[in-house]
Order: sequence, then C-alpha cells, then structure tokens
Amino acid sequence: MKRRFSRQGAGPDVALVADLVAAIGRDRVRNDSAERALLRRDASVFDDGVAGPVCFPGSTADVQAVVRTALRHGRAVVPRGAGTGLAGGAIPLGAPVVVSLTRMNRILDMDNDARVVWVEPGVVNLDLTKHLQPLGFHFAPDPSSQQVCTLGGNVANNSGGPHCLAYGITNAHIIAIEVVLPDGEVALLGGLEAEPPGYDLRGAFVGGEGTLGIATRIAARITPTAPAVRTLLMSFAEVRHAANTVSAVIAAGIVPAAMEVMDQRITQAVENYVHAGYPTDAAAVLLAEVDGLADGVDIDAQAIAQIGREQGATEVRLARDDTERMLLWTGRKTAVGAIAQIAPDYYLHDTVVPRAKLADVLAQTYEIAERHGLIVMNVFHAGDGNLHPLLLFDAREPGVVERVHVAGGEIVKASLDAGGVLSGEHGIGVEKQAYMTLLFTDDDLDHQNRLRKSFDPDCKANPGKVLPSGHSCADIQMLTAVPKGMWV
Amino acid sequence: MDLGIDADELNTCVQCGLCLSACPTFRVTGDETRSPRGRIALMRHVQLRDAPLTPEIVESLETCVQCRGCEPACPSGVPYGHLIEQARTTLAAAHRSTPRWQRLAYAPLSRPRLLRAGSVALGVAQRLHLVPKRLGLSVRIPLRQRPITASGADVYLFTGCVMDAWQRDVHQATKRVIEAAGFGVMPTLAKAPCCGALHAHAGLTDQTRRLAEGMMAALAPELPILVDSAGCAAAMKDYGHLLGTDAAKAFSARVFDIQEWLARYVDRLPPVTPLDMRVAVQDPCHLRHVQKVHMDTRMVLRPFVRELVELDDDGLCCGAGGAYSALEPELAGAIRDRKVGSIGRARADMVASANPGCSMHLGAAGTPTKHPMELIDQALQQR
Repeated sequence: MKRRFSRQGAGPDVALVADLVAAIGRDRVRNDSAERALLRRDASVFDDGVAGPVCFPGSTADVQAVVRTALRHGRAVVPRGAGTGLAGGAIPLGAPVVVSLTRMNRILDMDNDARVVWVEPGVVNLDLTKHLQPLGFHFAPDPSSQQVCTLGGNVANNSGGPHCLAYGITNAHIIAIEVVLPDGEVALLGGLEAEPPGYDLRGAFVGGEGTLGIATRIAARITPTAPAVRTLLMSFAEVRHAANTVSAVIAAGIVPAAMEVMDQRITQAVENYVHAGYPTDAAAVLLAEVDGLADGVDIDAQAIAQIGREQGATEVRLARDDTERMLLWTGRKTAVGAIAQIAPDYYLHDTVVPRAKLADVLAQTYEIAERHGLIVMNVFHAGDGNLHPLLLFDAREPGVVERVHVAGGEIVKASLDAGGVLSGEHGIGVEKQAYMTLLFTDDDLDHQNRLRKSFDPDCKANPGKVLPSGHSCADIQMLTAVPKGMWV
Repeated sequence: MDLGIDADELNTCVQCGLCLSACPTFRVTGDETRSPRGRIALMRHVQLRDAPLTPEIVESLETCVQCRGCEPACPSGVPYGHLIEQARTTLAAAHRSTPRWQRLAYAPLSRPRLLRAGSVALGVAQRLHLVPKRLGLSVRIPLRQRPITASGADVYLFTGCVMDAWQRDVHQATKRVIEAAGFGVMPTLAKAPCCGALHAHAGLTDQTRRLAEGMMAALAPELPILVDSAGCAAAMKDYGHLLGTDAAKAFSARVFDIQEWLARYVDRLPPVTPLDMRVAVQDPCHLRHVQKVHMDTRMVLRPFVRELVELDDDGLCCGAGGAYSALEPELAGAIRDRKVGSIGRARADMVASANPGCSMHLGAAGTPTKHPMELIDQALQQR
C-alpha cells in the first residue's frame, strides 16, 4: 500500500538524521517512535534503554559513514544483530545511533581448502551451517538461539553452545575480522596466515560486546561434519546424579560433542512444545552426544551409558534416528523460550563453575530461590560447567523484580565462591557489570579499561557496557528522559 | 487505545526473538517493526502503555502477511494469529486500516454473479493487454467456463469465490481425483459463495462471521467438506473459534483439506505410471503452519511423480498471503525472491502448491506451479 509519511520522524535529532540520510540513503535510516521503541530492548529483562536514530547499513562503507556521522554529532553508536542477547549488550544507553547489521547478511567467499568462509555480520548462525551442510561442513558454535542469532552477535559475545564442549567456543572459530573502529577507520584484525604477526587483537575483539568497534566482515573457520553421531538421553531421580555423571564422563577421558542437563520443570515445558519423548517424571535429564567414526561413537556411547547407570540413571535411551535426534535438540535449544508456558518473565543467569562443583552449586540455586519465594529452573551446558539458572516471575506482581535481583546476586555469589566466573557465553552487557568487582580487582579493571580506551578513547562505542561505571573510560551522559515529541 | 486483545494472550510473549527467522517480512527487511516480536511489542505499547497509534505502528501491523510461520517457531505457544487478527479487526473498525476501495473490492467475493461479471471484464482486459504486469495476474482468466456438476452426494467440494472464477480447472481436477477414489462429489457453488478468509485477514470480522453463518446454514447436511484451497480450509476450520458456538465447532470438524482427506483413501486410486517430473513441494503457510497437515501432501503426491523434493527454506512464506501480494507488492516480491531462490536450488521441473494464491504469485515470477490435485489428475488421465 502506498503510504504517505516519513519514517525519519519529526521530533528530535533532525540534523543528525538528515546527515545519516545523506550518508547512507533514506531507506536505510529510521527515526520514528515505533522503531526507537522496539530497539530499546533485546531479549533480556532490561527495559531502561533509550534508542536514537536507527540505521540499516548495507556495506562496510555505510557502517563507516554512520560511525563518522554519529561522531561528528557527538553521539555514540551501538551495534545490533538479531537482538537475542540476554545480558543487555545491545541495549542503547543515552540515545546512541543504533546500527542494525541485519541487512549485511551475505555469505561472501568460501575457501574449502583453507576451510574458511567470509561472511557479513548479519548472517544467521544456522543459515551459515545450512549453507555449508551440502558441502560436508558446518559452523561449530551453536548457541541455543542459532536459528536467529547472527555471526556478528556471536563474535561480540564470544558465544558458546552445546557443541562447544568438543569444538571450542566462537573465539576458536574466528580467524580474521574486518572492523570499523570507533573513530571510523577500517582495520583488519587477525589474518588467514597460520600465525598472524603482532599481538592477537582479533582475540581481544572477540567478546568485546561492541565496545571495541563494529565487525563488518568475518572470516569463520568451517568444520567438517562428523560421519556418525550418537545421542543419548538419560533420566535421573536427582539433579545431583546427572551432574555427577557429567564429571565422571570427562574424568573417564571421553570427550563428548555435547552434554546438556535440564531439570524436571524445564523438561516438562519443553516436552509440551516439541513432543520429543522427553521423560517428564525424571528429576533431571542428561542429553549426551558423541560424534566421529561409526565404530568409535558406538564404543563411546556405551561407555557413557555405563557411567550413567553407575551414577544412578533410571533410564538410558539412544535416539533411534536423525528425526528423533533433531527433535531432542530442538527441545533443548528452545528451552528458554518455552518458559512463558509457566510465567511471563524470566531472568537467566550464565555463570560457569568447575564441573566437580556443579552438583553443589545447583543445590544452592534451588535453596536460594526457595528462600526468596521464587521458582528456579535449571538448564545448562553441563560439560562446560556453564549454568543457566532461570528465575521465573510475573513482573506485574509488586516487589518481585527486586526479589529476583537479590536472588540472582546470591546465585552469582555462590558460583564465584565455588571458583567460577560470571559469564559463560552471554556476555557482561549491563547485566553483570556490578558483579565485575567481585571477580576482578580495581587494578584488573583499570587495565581492561586501558585496552578498551586504546580502541575507543572517547567512549563512543556501546558506552555503559561491560566495565562497571567507576572503571569505565568516562561516565556517559545518561540520557534517560524521553526525547521531546517521542512517546517512548 | 484498547485493541481488544486478550490480555493473557498478549502477555505470553517473552520477547526471546526465536520467531524472527520464521517471519518472511523480517527476513527481507531485518527490521524489528517487521517482525512478530516487534509487532507484539507495539500492540502492547498501544494497548497496555497508552502509546498513540501512529501511522508507523499501523504500517507495522498491516505489513504482516499473516502467514503464521511464527507460531510453530514459538516455544511459548504465543497465539499470534489471534493477536494480529484482533488488532486488525480493531484497526479496520476504527478505519485506521483497510481503506474503502479495499472493502469495495471485497464486496463481489460473496456475490457470485457480480464476481463472474467482474472476472469476465478482467479477462477481456487481460486479452487486450490492459492489465498491468505489476498486478501479478499470472492465470489467464477464462471468459467462458465449463459448468462443474454434481456426481453424487458423498462429499462436498468447496468451490469458493475467486478460485472458482479464475481457476475452476483445479476444482475439475480435484473432482475427478475424488471420483477416481470412488466418491460422489457435490460442488458447493453459489449457495456457499465465500469462506471469508480475505475479510478476516483485513480485519473485517463482522463480514467473516456473516459469511461463516451463511455457509453453515447452506452446508447443513452432515457431509465432509473438502477444500482444495489451503487458505479457505484454514479459515473454515477456524469458524469454531470465530463464532464460539458448538454448531460452529462441529462444522469446523467436518472441514478437510483435500490432501488431508485423500491421505486416508489414497490406496483406492488406481496404480499409474508416475509423471516424469521432479516436483518440489511448496507448503502454503495456512496448510503447514495453521492446519499442520502438510505432510499429507507428500503422502498423496509421492506415487504420482517420479521424484518429490523438499525446499530448503523451512516452509518460509512465498509472500502471496491472500490479497497481500496486491496490497504490499514490494515486500511480497522480495519475499518471493527468496522462495524462487530456494526453488532454483531444488532444481525441480514443477512446483506443487495447494493454494491458489501461492500458485498465482509464484506463477507471476515465471515458476511453473500446479496444484497437487492437477498433477495426480494428470497422472490418472495418461494411464
């Protein structure tokens, strides 16, 4: 339908928007209330962002033009992929220009010999794997949101996923990155050589959460797909037994491709959605996968089953075929989304603890939640010791959000006390900034800030994230008031 | 502004974003205002937070194809169809969407003679090359039609509105296939002129209700109602929810997509030499995401063609969306480009699509498309 109105909005930022339009074109800039309202948020619980104009660049040159235009107007920039982040990394603070990279979604050159594929940052993780599958390859990091999350977001958060247990997290699969630095210069970090010269700035950039610049082209390693896969589903009468099985499997020298645990409540919600045959009466289920050559995987699968039984598994099942296997994985990967069947809001943590401490920390999460009158569900990358306790609540209930934050803090504290770290894969974002001082000394944080400042001296790249404000380059002018003429 | 959406249903979305890749408009724009998550958030802003209903919000809701691909992708079971239909109903009632020309254009759908006259005029214009290409009218509208007559009274064949005027050949093929399985067919013709699916999409819910009630009265005898248009069958299966009465629920339970119904009787069809074709199955959204009977298409079609192949796009919409391709040609074209790419990768000779809108939309892009019943009929004829 022909519509006669401008999507560039009337309200504030007229001069900035005019310059952005001049730089990258009218159909790549939006500044209306609806757009700004939506891009205030990602998939996390944080609701206090304020977005500025929104840009949809189509090339490195576009990104460069946006960054330079924003800089000229004294505004920060925040990159954004699919907005599935759970730590608030893409939440715009202080009305920055939001750079949505979803239209830069081309798979560029592929080199089977070097086992590298160049992609733009907006390529969806699963789309890349599907593109590679007919050629016998895949992209190994497989975050649970892989059907929607983008490579750019994976790089920003150094994302993990069930199969990172055997294959390593995103950092191990990114060889080189073309980035637009916060001052608008373009740089290539890393390289296709086996050992690129100089410091590993690529390594610093991966996991930088958009505070070091914006990735515009990514060289990703492609992984040959194993010829055989076996997937085991084990049921346990206690969560502890499942956790102990995981430790025992690793201790026995087996390296499974993935080991994932879900407790009873989350399993019930998941089964209700996928109908994969998950046992809904078990206190916990363990999904274990091994891949490799056919003979080897059978031996490993039997060994894992044996260990499971020794640790008290009440049932051990082998997925019959690919269909059942895919259904089981669909269930595991959509677990977080399935919880609205139980409560409308959730707060998901992401700590990592030593595997041997898994059972103890899990027990503490249940105890902490109960003490605060909350429901907690546990679904986690058991092989990595990466916990994802989900606190469920209904934000409409007065006072509950505060209780959720207190309980969350206690869970984080319990994980750190057990020798763990703050984030396995979701990043620090705005969510875990305050906890950084529990893990790092002032000195540590100041040095991290120096690294950041060497990329972004003026604090214009995703300001207000990762480092706690006292240690951040400069306290940003928080523009939290709604701009005039906007309803958000 | 109260959009009239059930508050509990509106609250089921946790904004996780797992729906984004299943949404055709998000896929081609990368824009949150063109996504299910974004549209739900905007509905919440308007209904729960008193945000003004701006033109951009209306546009966001109007550009939804209503393919419902987001529903199977949603682990929380958000009833997106209910949300968008209610929102569109409120917008139309407030005259914020569905302009008067569109309402006028829908009037002949329930008036068979008017529709026939209009179709003939359009057919003449088509032959005089007066119909602009961008309208995407890929079927050659017949000026004269062979009547479709009853051959018994075992089942109804729902003939509908535009499809009967423009693609009666498909109905004729469907009828021959049902007869080959040993059933007598009663075409519904003018007594049940239109299912109301297009009205429902446009938010004209009162008219949909009136059409539903008329249809239930006209097709009172307790026969199965077979439908060879996925969009119509989905709408008729929703009468139970639309009207909320036991009679409507009982009516909906009698409605079958033709593939769904034939899957039970496919053994009755005689053995044939399969057509020498590599056929790609294109699942109409309202067959796959709403009726969820798309596997039956494969089951009934497989014996009749040399090779049946899947597309690699997980059932993403083709952009037809009832009248959507005419209302939003730019988005519909971009969405179709993705589908055509997927069809190209499948290296198929023919696309099988069980919905008239999809086949016209794909046909306009030069993709050879036939209804599964036409292919089965063709195989039976050449025996």
